[in-house]
Amino acid sequence: MEKMSRVSTALSSSAVSGRTMFCHLDAPANAISVCRDATQVVVAGRNIFKIYALEEEQFVEKLNLRVGRKPSLNFSCADVMWHQMEENLLATAATNGAVVTWNLGKPSRNKQDQLFTEHKRTVNKVCFHPTEVYMLLSGSQDGFMKCFDLRKKESVSTFSGQSESVRDVQFSMKDYFTFAASFENGNVQLWDIRRPDRYERMFTAHTGPVFCCDWHPDDRGWLATGGRDKMVKVWDMTTNRAKEIYCVQTIASVARVKWRPEKKFHLATCSMMVDHNIYVWDIRRPFIPFATFEEHKDVTTGIVWRHQHDPHFLLSGSKDSTLYQHMFKDATCPVDKANPEGLCFGLFGDLAFAAKESLISSDASRKPYPGGDRRYPIFFFKKPDPTEQFAHVSSVLSVFETDLDSNRMDWFVKTAQLYLLSGKPFAELCDHNAKVAQELKRPQVSTTWTMLRIMFSDPANLTTPVANHSLSKLGTLPLMNSFNLKEIGAGIGTESRLERSKGEIRQDNMHLEAGNSTISNNNEENEETEGSEGQAEYMFGDAELDDDDLYSMEHDNQTVEEQEYTLPQESFSLISISQPLFSPHLPASFFCPIVREMLSYYAEQGDVQMAVSVLIVLGDRIRKEIDDLTQEHWYMSYIDLLQRFELWNVSNEVIKLSTCSAITCLNQTSTTLHINCSNCKRPMSNKGWICDRCHQCASVCAVCHHVVKGLFVWCQGCSHGGHLEHIMNWLKSSAHCPAGCGHLCEYT
Amino acid sequence: MFVARSIAADHKDLIHDVSYDFHGRRMATCSSDQSVKVWDKSENGEWHCTASWKTHSGSVWRVTWAHPEFGQVLASCSFDRTAAVWEEIVGESNDKQRGLSHWIKRTTLVDSRTSVTDVKFAPKHMGLMLTTCSADGVVRIYEAPDVMNLSQWSLQHEISCKLSCSCISWNPSSSRAHPPMFAVGSDDSNVMYGGKVQIYEYNENTRKYAKAETLMTVTDAVHDIAFAPNLGRSFHVLAIATKDVRIFKLVPMRKESSSTGSTKFEVQIVAQFDNHNSQVWRVSWNITSTLLASSGDDGCVRLWKGASSPLATLTAGHSCTGSCYLFTMLVVSSTVQTDTQQVLCGFCCRSIRDKFSKELKHSLQLDLW
Repeated sequence: MEKMSRVSTALSSSAVSGRTMFCHLDAPANAISVCRDATQVVVAGRNIFKIYALEEEQFVEKLNLRVGRKPSLNFSCADVMWHQMEENLLATAATNGAVVTWNLGKPSRNKQDQLFTEHKRTVNKVCFHPTEVYMLLSGSQDGFMKCFDLRKKESVSTFSGQSESVRDVQFSMKDYFTFAASFENGNVQLWDIRRPDRYERMFTAHTGPVFCCDWHPDDRGWLATGGRDKMVKVWDMTTNRAKEIYCVQTIASVARVKWRPEKKFHLATCSMMVDHNIYVWDIRRPFIPFATFEEHKDVTTGIVWRHQHDPHFLLSGSKDSTLYQHMFKDATCPVDKANPEGLCFGLFGDLAFAAKESLISSDASRKPYPGGDRRYPIFFFKKPDPTEQFAHVSSVLSVFETDLDSNRMDWFVKTAQLYLLSGKPFAELCDHNAKVAQELKRPQVSTTWTMLRIMFSDPANLTTPVANHSLSKLGTLPLMNSFNLKEIGAGIGTESRLERSKGEIRQDNMHLEAGNSTISNNNEENEETEGSEGQAEYMFGDAELDDDDLYSMEHDNQTVEEQEYTLPQESFSLISISQPLFSPHLPASFFCPIVREMLSYYAEQGDVQMAVSVLIVLGDRIRKEIDDLTQEHWYMSYIDLLQRFELWNVSNEVIKLSTCSAITCLNQTSTTLHINCSNCKRPMSNKGWICDRCHQCASVCAVCHHVVKGLFVWCQGCSHGGHLEHIMNWLKSSAHCPAGCGHLCEYT
Repeated sequence: MFVARSIAADHKDLIHDVSYDFHGRRMATCSSDQSVKVWDKSENGEWHCTASWKTHSGSVWRVTWAHPEFGQVLASCSFDRTAAVWEEIVGESNDKQRGLSHWIKRTTLVDSRTSVTDVKFAPKHMGLMLTTCSADGVVRIYEAPDVMNLSQWSLQHEISCKLSCSCISWNPSSSRAHPPMFAVGSDDSNVMYGGKVQIYEYNENTRKYAKAETLMTVTDAVHDIAFAPNLGRSFHVLAIATKDVRIFKLVPMRKESSSTGSTKFEVQIVAQFDNHNSQVWRVSWNITSTLLASSGDDGCVRLWKGASSPLATLTAGHSCTGSCYLFTMLVVSSTVQTDTQQVLCGFCCRSIRDKFSKELKHSLQLDLW
């Protein structure tokens, strides 16, 4: 009665009974097999041979077949099979070469029935005929397959594969007389049971041993084979030549393969080494398992579907001495964790996006969000048949290119290239950079430069026409600020930005009022320095302010200060009209906190370019205000960015101009080139152009025959070269080496 | 405006990752079909596949580029429990079919006993280091002691995160004030296990990585995680792809000069968007960390623009608390069709802006208070 109900539940897939469960065995299992009605399972191994009943909630040990005080080697099983028609009949393959049959109907404790000791080495596999009760087939390490009639004492026929050891033998489901055998040399043979002299067909299925094979249960002539080459192949045996129709690549050698009942395209595999998991594959999607069972802690040695019509339960035995019943519902699906999308932001603001086709197409067909309710549960998108959905997938790859300048980073490259960081008086640098920013439509940055100029430079310089230009810009400062903010914030926070700029001014205002009185005491030193700077510029009329200049000017500070207070009035009035807050006798150091704030603001906003550029241009004026670590961080970030955009020259300039020791040393490493003399081919030891040994000029230009002092370019093939210009000219007319060595020179 | 350029990737299964190289001119894709493809951008902006090869015997989950200073080097990780390092060799191949360049495997890292879910190179200033994380919750940090020899990697650290890891991200900051730090995300869906994002920091004294923070508020499965490029900021910004997009700000607390413990962080959630209405799979920052892109099960890529709130800068007065991020959705790209060029969606289209300005004002006020 119990038996009946089990069969019926197993057949109707809607009502699945049972659960994932396991029991401990006394010893590692080598193979397992279930009886026809799926109520009992036999576990066989080197030191175990037991029958367990499969109950609803647990495994119950029914029978220990390993009896006797000193079990013979016949009990040491490599394989076991329960007859699918005769429920009392079992066969085992022993490691000593014996094939043993067992009759559970025997009244004695020892159930051993027949013993065939014809194989000379380990028997790897035994297989009952699916429909013929007394026919048993065995395959052995000695390279022979034997067919036994259980009513006789000896084998009825012997098949010699004439290959290597036999790893698996399987009767065909479709053809009464046919069986397949797999071999350690990668071959699979098809035999007719009536013709032991010669195989019907042989083909090489794998590179390396073929450990297992399994006929498709729905007699379609499909044979699955698994090998040490980590592959499972499905062959169509109905055609004249075995045709590989599917190939699944697993991650470890395949020890067992079993088609899943009732699911045309599914099969389960387990591995012989390393990998302890059981995988169920959909052969139509050969790259990723449909499901995995990850319970075992050691190699899984035997897998069998519990019932031949029930796809939901899988039994497995393992070297970790456990017997498991896996329920399909509890399997993990690697696909669920697999990312169906890839997304990456490129350097130029382009976005690479790869997505599962179904995600995108479903999106295309979907209407826009219905008003109001925008919250779909996630399962809303699931389609009814998960296996069908599983099998057919592909991704769409596309690159979204932005044509919006602000995103494309053009501004960054242009700015980096066009900014002047040194080589001119401070005010000119500021003006230049302001103009660059203005042209690139970055008014806020532009204004910042202009303000910096006003804050830090000597008002005397403002009489130049450039200054007037910048002043006219200054006049519209608040307005501009609001414009650019709108742009940067892309329409958000405009009000707040305005407020901010107001706030800044307000703050300035405050500082100014408070500052006016205290300034002379507070920053006397700085004031002096500033004064001297102005003086320096005034006097030499050129170039950047080196530290040397400053120090050399230090002694006549007094006079300088005097001078500063008697500035030409007209230029001064110009400033006061547009920006009355900045009175000229404010020392630059007074602005430092504001500038520091501003630089931090730019840096935190992601515009480290501005921070570093200002840092370099302002130089000593601001450097002391910002701690070294932060400066170094800014430099590093900016250099990294420049290198991303392959702006090597700019990056080198920044390194050169930086004042952090950690940065300046960046281009001091790996600057030595060891060269050999071009005449005597020996290493050049000393400096200079003459080789010590042969007393000739080593690096002579192949074109003009003069010694190259400067940029020397040479072909790595023939080692001839010369002045960069000469070689370039030469290569315009000829591809051969100018030295006449006949080499086709390659310059990169 | 964005223009979509569709590329016939010709992968035989799902593409799991796309990755640009340092200079943005090369792209690598990896797929479940066990292969990696490298794409080069030609002068006219077209992408051409210049290499395609079988890398693993399982799905390839991620692919990532090393800094070009170390050569043209890729790392991949796979379901087959390995990670591999590949180097491009130009012009040495005898095999005509492979064209001018081919990629050879320099090493296979086989320490993991489960699927390797993510692989990332550490920031360049740390040297040539590679990090992997695996489904059994172990993060492994390898180092190539000799940058010229890519076949020798030594396992430097093995950190157990207890939870199945799905993604990892290095803090890119090169500042000496920021010790090496990375974040790990877990795709464990059990809410009971608590925070799914852990942050580890290197301790100079113990020479080990120690957990500095767990983002307890992120309890759902996390699929991607990305530190924003740190361009001279004093704090860190971390984007997380979970059931929604979240952006966290990690402000290092000022350390006492002689303190030996790990840095404490002030963790603030800056933004949280559920506009995908579904699982979010990927997040990616642009180079200046002003834009964040996210993609989800809805098949859309969404861009988020960060705008710093200036008032916060001014009132705070310290650079360390800095600006605070406000994000607003800017672009909804929806359809991708096979046309090679198709204009997708307006960037600053008014309707979107208006819709969000209200939200924004609200959050801004919150911020101010």
